[in-house]
Amino acid sequence: MQLRISLAAATLLSSMAIQAEDYVSVQYLQYNESNNRTAVSAPSIMLNKDFGTDYTLNVNVVADAVSGASETFYDASSGASAYSRGIGVNASDVEYGNVEYDDTRVAGGATLITRFDNRDELTVGLNYSSESDFYSAEGSLEYMHWLTSSKNNSLSLGLSYQSNEVLVKCNPDSATSSCDAGSGASEAMTNDAINVQASYFQNINSESYAKVSLFYIGDSGYLTNPYSNVVRNYVDGGTADVVGENRPDSRAAYGLSLKYANAITSNLSAHIGYRYYTDDWDIDSHTIDTDFYYEPSSDWLIKLGLRYYMQSEANFYSAEKDYFTNEEFASSDIRLGKFNAITYKTDVEYKISDDFSANFGVNYYDQSEGLDATYLMTGVTYRF
Amino acid sequence: MKINITMTLCALFLFTGCVKDVKPWEKGTLAKKSMKESGTNPLAKKYEEHIYYSKEASRGGNGVAGGGCGCN
Repeated sequence: MQLRISLAAATLLSSMAIQAEDYVSVQYLQYNESNNRTAVSAPSIMLNKDFGTDYTLNVNVVADAVSGASETFYDASSGASAYSRGIGVNASDVEYGNVEYDDTRVAGGATLITRFDNRDELTVGLNYSSESDFYSAEGSLEYMHWLTSSKNNSLSLGLSYQSNEVLVKCNPDSATSSCDAGSGASEAMTNDAINVQASYFQNINSESYAKVSLFYIGDSGYLTNPYSNVVRNYVDGGTADVVGENRPDSRAAYGLSLKYANAITSNLSAHIGYRYYTDDWDIDSHTIDTDFYYEPSSDWLIKLGLRYYMQSEANFYSAEKDYFTNEEFASSDIRLGKFNAITYKTDVEYKISDDFSANFGVNYYDQSEGLDATYLMTGVTYRF
Repeated sequence: MKINITMTLCALFLFTGCVKDVKPWEKGTLAKKSMKESGTNPLAKKYEEHIYYSKEASRGGNGVAGGGCGCN
């Protein structure tokens, strides 16, 4: 009898611990790069609501206000702009530096999880993003199947399709010749992406679990950055061509992701992740991500994290102004170059009452090629 | 490639060498907020992924849903 009561109590405690939460979370992000480059202010809201035990709805909306500058080559004789381009400009006028821009973005997403009698889960997702020069719509499906009745291991298969439209200002070296450069108009270019992921999840014991995933991402269409320039046919002391970059119209990427979480003590847990990525642009990357959560009391939760990232460069990338001549594909966008990056992460969450909690976090991102950024995240969460 | 093989072997070891059948009443710790794969703050996690997406050339491995970005 005593054993039965203990088991019942343990089961009750367990079910209390794993009961789903209904909540509304309002967060604010402030992101600032050094040297007056990109700054982002982004308020957002997320709602998570269970309908019985079989359905969970999650909705989120974010609005970004982006301003600042990004680096590229430009013809300084016609101003510091991403569209300061020209054929046969004076080589001495070719400069690499910040060109200003600003934009706003509104993005939203929703997922609905449906649980079946065997507790398998089907997640249906929709995402939308809109900027002045970019639109994106995405649909996703993911099915999670428990492999055993104890529900300690599962297989998941997910698929998403994303359709994007990029508005590209007409210019003499535009990717299409039908665009009238003198009109000041833009033309709509499109690309799409397919993402497939298969995952295996395993509870290792009552304090740890692991997950391994394989993924494929296929991009096709207009993948060029319309605001990034390259220099071709540079002759020192002579002339050079400052033109828009050009990327291949397809990209196939594969990767492996491993995640492991362990409750080291009753109030300290660790999350460790590794990702390997490779694509047919010759970019390989390795990412190691660790987060530690410490709960000094039932009201406080402290997170400390460290992420290390390294990537190789694309086979059509060069940061040099005297490198490209007549290659079909060429880019000097630093994001396609070789670099590594470290992120230092901190976050504190305080439980104000049973219903309300507040959080504040500071993160510092540092790339080896000069970019560094600080981003703050603060907000409140109401549980109901 | 060497790192990939090592990591794969480690994962296989984890899944086959020391896995216990965790009973439902033993899952309290696994269900704690601090043990969630998405972290304790899903919105912050989304922001973080978005920043990496806009500043780095690789992506993937965190589920198939994410949303697009004209991060130029």
